[in-house]
Amino acid sequence: MTPTSPSAPPDRPPHESLTRRTLLRWSALGGAGLALGPLSACAGPTGAPGPGTLTLGLNRSLVSLDNKLNQFDAAVTVQRAVRQALTRIGPGMKPQLVLADRFTMSGPTAWSVRLREGVCYSDGSPVTVEDVATALTMYGKVNGSFILSLFPELPTVEKTGERTFTLHTKRPVPGLDGLMASIHITPAAANRPEELQSGVGSGPYQVARANSGAGEYTLARNPRYWGRAPHVDTVRVRFVPEESSRVIALRSGELDVVDTLTPDSAEQLTGLPGVALQETSGTRICQLFYNFRKKNPHPLADARVRRALSLAVDGGSLIRDVLTGSAEEARGVVPLALEGAVRTGEFAYDPGRARARLKALGADGLRIRIIWETGEFAADSSVMEAVADMFRDIGVRATLLEFEPGGDILKWRQGRGGDWDVIGNGFPGPTGQALTSLQGMYGGTPEKERTRDTYMGYVVPDVQRKLADAATETDDATRERKLAAVQHDIWDTWPMLWAFAPKTLLARRDRVHDLGLLKLNSYDLSAVRLEG
Amino acid sequence: MTGTVVGPERPSAVTARDLARATATRQRRGARFKIWAGALCTALVVLPVALAGLLPLPDANAQDLSQRRLPPLSGGHLFGTDQLGRDLLSRILHGGQVSLSVGVLAVLVSGLIGMAAGAAAGFFGGWVDALVSRFLEAQLALPLLMMLLLVVALFGPSITVITCVIAVAQWPEVARLTRSLVLVEREKPYVAAARVLGLRGWTVLARHVVPNVVRPVSLVVLLLIAQAVLLESALSFLGAGPQRPFATWGRIISDGQAYITTSWWLVTLPGLVIALLVVGVNLLGDGLRDRTRRRKGARA
Repeated sequence: MTPTSPSAPPDRPPHESLTRRTLLRWSALGGAGLALGPLSACAGPTGAPGPGTLTLGLNRSLVSLDNKLNQFDAAVTVQRAVRQALTRIGPGMKPQLVLADRFTMSGPTAWSVRLREGVCYSDGSPVTVEDVATALTMYGKVNGSFILSLFPELPTVEKTGERTFTLHTKRPVPGLDGLMASIHITPAAANRPEELQSGVGSGPYQVARANSGAGEYTLARNPRYWGRAPHVDTVRVRFVPEESSRVIALRSGELDVVDTLTPDSAEQLTGLPGVALQETSGTRICQLFYNFRKKNPHPLADARVRRALSLAVDGGSLIRDVLTGSAEEARGVVPLALEGAVRTGEFAYDPGRARARLKALGADGLRIRIIWETGEFAADSSVMEAVADMFRDIGVRATLLEFEPGGDILKWRQGRGGDWDVIGNGFPGPTGQALTSLQGMYGGTPEKERTRDTYMGYVVPDVQRKLADAATETDDATRERKLAAVQHDIWDTWPMLWAFAPKTLLARRDRVHDLGLLKLNSYDLSAVRLEG
Repeated sequence: MTGTVVGPERPSAVTARDLARATATRQRRGARFKIWAGALCTALVVLPVALAGLLPLPDANAQDLSQRRLPPLSGGHLFGTDQLGRDLLSRILHGGQVSLSVGVLAVLVSGLIGMAAGAAAGFFGGWVDALVSRFLEAQLALPLLMMLLLVVALFGPSITVITCVIAVAQWPEVARLTRSLVLVEREKPYVAAARVLGLRGWTVLARHVVPNVVRPVSLVVLLLIAQAVLLESALSFLGAGPQRPFATWGRIISDGQAYITTSWWLVTLPGLVIALLVVGVNLLGDGLRDRTRRRKGARA
């Protein structure tokens, strides 16, 4: 036994430093840290973009960077940053050359095209004529494609050289250069008749990370880009469905750009420091379109009844109060911003006359079912509720059926889901040409209707014939005249209860520059610059 | 044996102050406060909602687009107007009729299902208990809101579907409580006596056991009303509520969130009404439960 001095402090057992109290203290500290950690993250903007990163907040989910089935306006901006077409629609709604450096009409049914020298994909492989031919074949094989409905017919490719080819059509297609802006070119071996979830493109950006389920993408500069390198290193694309969340994220600096804003959100953002708004007239038409699958003796099969119902809609009030001046009431069957569009008439508001006409036509006490998908256009629910209330004033009972995004409204539109009378729908003008939109909406044929590929069942043979005639007219002046006449004919069939052309609204942080918003509600991502 | 007479002046260490500070007294006071406060909060919401048709209010769906988003106490609108110029108070009260009807109906149905299933499981045991308990556990394991959204997506959003869905969602809670109470009751002598007298199992359960468990179960059912109203509001908020133009509390809030920074009342006021009702019902339920316990103790 070792003697110890009585004055020396007693030896502490080695474990005494770790007392129960200490343990409790540590646990309490740890617990507090865990609890307060997330709170501290809430205190400031979360996920704020870095100095070289541009973050876009889209209101619809970008399920693919391919546009075979998925081409809403804002998606075009992102899709074309990765995959490019032979042409694009530039400012002034004129086609501009992209992958092609020559795109000229060499005959009524032939276009001579030359690929730009040195154009290549992000993996370094060159863009070839075979890629163009395969792309056209694949777009043609996709069922229910919106893009396909824009083409009177898909051209075929005849290779004439290493970089040159001729696009042939059976009948003249004068606006083919604009239409080809929607055909994205992908390496032939990787192209499929479906929305591509992977693969390379020839655009200024390449995909660094993708979560298509969540609609989130990270794009990085394409080091092998054949053109001028983009100014921004990284672009993050996020899907933020809630309008209020997008507004708050922009205000906090979490997002740099939010597009397709509702007028109410624009009002909230107006005058805020660090936020700028951009506005331009749009090429999209938002309609309350009648169901043209209603056959006699249904009252809606009668154009006079359809016209009488329109008299109940106070369009001026909807534009002024509900859409707060962010749209223009339609004065034609397509937006007047489109090339070739003409004024065909105006919607009048006269509920007394509406009531009298409906009574005279034996259609009083009508019941109308209005359907739409949430987010189809700005303030859609408010517009629909307002219209239902206006119908009530003339003794028409309207029921509303709202579909959530991802629901089966497509089936309903095709007449396979259930019965409806009026649909709230938006139709874009991706080529900037009135002819394309007219053909997409009013060029339905009985053959197309058999597969339910017409626009809400609109099949009017006379209109379809005249449209086809105008579409194949190679003389510009004659085509314009024919096109104007057919627009008046369409207006007389009274296809819409009411329609408006929304202005394109976009909000961005001040640090974002050179964002050239086009009437198509898209912009060239490679031209955008970031400050700081 | 001589009886002892206790005089009024008998000395005691327990003072009136001690009695007033005693836990039992505090609980009694607390229960009374909860009942009164709960009843007041609930009445503040339920009475105007029930009498919405009689109150001098504009039609809940009558629009005046020139009077959009008027703030409270302006233009003759106590709660202001919404994005279509409709009177917000009228919409909240009429919307409350839908939300409350759905809540009350759902809870009644779930109470009946839960009590029947729980009582059968607790009383008969064996395979009935195994079946009910496993089914109950399986349902509790599912994420509630997801399940509700799925069913509404399958069958379409109508008041009937939403009521049934919430009713089916809430029965496990009632069933679990009923089962545990019946398990206790069935071992009591009066049940054995009833059996000896030749009563059948179902008769004993319905005539003697269930009346003894109805009271605590009904308190849980009352608390579930608040939960059902919240669920209905959540479904409407997520777009799975009754179709427009039916005003429901969830939809009013959902529509108003787009204007949260410019028109605070569109979200705040209906939110406050929901909070008031939920707090009121919960306080009332808590108070009634506490009061019941005291009485039971006193009888024992």
